[in-house]
Amino acid sequence: MTRETIALKIKRQDAPGAKPYWNVFKLPSLPHANVISCLQEIQRNPVTADGKTVTPVTWDCNCLEEVCGSCTMRINGRVRQACTALVDILEDPIVLEPMSKFPVVRDLQVDRSRMFENLRKIKGWIEIDGSYDIGEGPVFPEKIREKAYALSQCMTCGCCLEACPQFTLTNDFMGAATFSQVRYFNLHPTGAMNKEERLEAVMKSGGIADCGNAQVCVEVCPKKIPLTESIAEIGRETTLQLLKNLVLK
Amino acid sequence: MSKLTKEDLHFFLLKLHSLTGIVPIGIFLAFHLAINSLRTVGVHQYQFSIDLINNLPFLFGIEVLFIYVPLLLHSALGFYVTFAGRMNVRRYPYYRNWMYTLQRITGAIVFAFLVYHMGTTVVPKIYYGKELFDAAPFLIDAMNREFQTWGGRILYLAGIFSAAFHFANGLWGFCVSWGMIVGPSAQRNASVVFLLFGLVLGLLGAATVVEFSLHPVPVAPSFTG
Repeated sequence: MTRETIALKIKRQDAPGAKPYWNVFKLPSLPHANVISCLQEIQRNPVTADGKTVTPVTWDCNCLEEVCGSCTMRINGRVRQACTALVDILEDPIVLEPMSKFPVVRDLQVDRSRMFENLRKIKGWIEIDGSYDIGEGPVFPEKIREKAYALSQCMTCGCCLEACPQFTLTNDFMGAATFSQVRYFNLHPTGAMNKEERLEAVMKSGGIADCGNAQVCVEVCPKKIPLTESIAEIGRETTLQLLKNLVLK
Repeated sequence: MSKLTKEDLHFFLLKLHSLTGIVPIGIFLAFHLAINSLRTVGVHQYQFSIDLINNLPFLFGIEVLFIYVPLLLHSALGFYVTFAGRMNVRRYPYYRNWMYTLQRITGAIVFAFLVYHMGTTVVPKIYYGKELFDAAPFLIDAMNREFQTWGGRILYLAGIFSAAFHFANGLWGFCVSWGMIVGPSAQRNASVVFLLFGLVLGLLGAATVVEFSLHPVPVAPSFTG
């Protein structure tokens, strides 16, 4: 598609809690441009389509190859990473909005710390430190490694939560990414040593039982992680854990 | 189990929400629609079923324990989870998101319908005391009147099909959230099977509505209340 210029309609917000407003920018359409390179162009020359000089638009980005998740935003209404949003195949004007389920820091920057706090709650790591040597990890069966690899690709970008109808700015729902990480760390033979703690962390308010199975998470996941399978699997394990707690504890 | 905290209670109640939707409410719905469809076979079979149920020992206790309390609990928790989320099917119009949305909408429809349905059938029975009147003629007369107008027919068909869908799709949700169907193809297949089951339930109910509309039963309710 050859276009002379491309318009970017950007939802802006000067500070947390401030009133959002819109700016439209017109840029020359360059081949192979992506949304990040357009934002960089605006940074160099922050003049709107009606000739007003404004503060440059802020956004987050880091890896520029869709593995860090930090440039996640709503592009033409759909949540995705800006670095892999190629301008040539996007509809004009390109509408950029920050994710709506996380508090806005400024413009397209949002604060995703809720996701990281949830990872802390579920012990999203493998415990190897201690006062004694726990030895080498057991051998990892290939079938399980394959499964774990798919889950390991989660970059905590927040797409699954942005698209989830059960996840809102104000409730305490943990969401697909967190449940999938419970499964991921429990799949690991050494990680499984903390299996019960992880399961019990999602058997609380905002946990796995709050999932409404709308399954939009799996549709929008840029890494094609089998999130709904993880949710059902954690549903199964927490159900068994509940029965175990009822009769054994 | 150790002392129940508020956080544990939340999980426990939501589990109970999905369980009560199947046992006893879903089971009741299936029997209710199936037994009522006896009306299409004959008036006697229908009347016999009403009398049989109405003469069960401890009926009031059974109704309270296995229908009214679970129904109220399921409804209250259902409204709670509905308002905890925010539907977004217009932005993300995927099949399962539609099901999620319809589940909540049909739940609200069924709730409104049940307020009417129980208000016109169960409430008079409790109010007048069941020993004061014959259940079968009273209920048959009430249904005769309902199905003489299109308003009544549409109201009941909407209630029946919403309930059938809500149960069928809820059965799917139950199996997923309790971890009985895990993989994507298992979930897809189960969805088809459960929705067909819901369709059958809905058609059973619809057949009863059609039968009542076409052939009202002449009864004289003996009403001593």
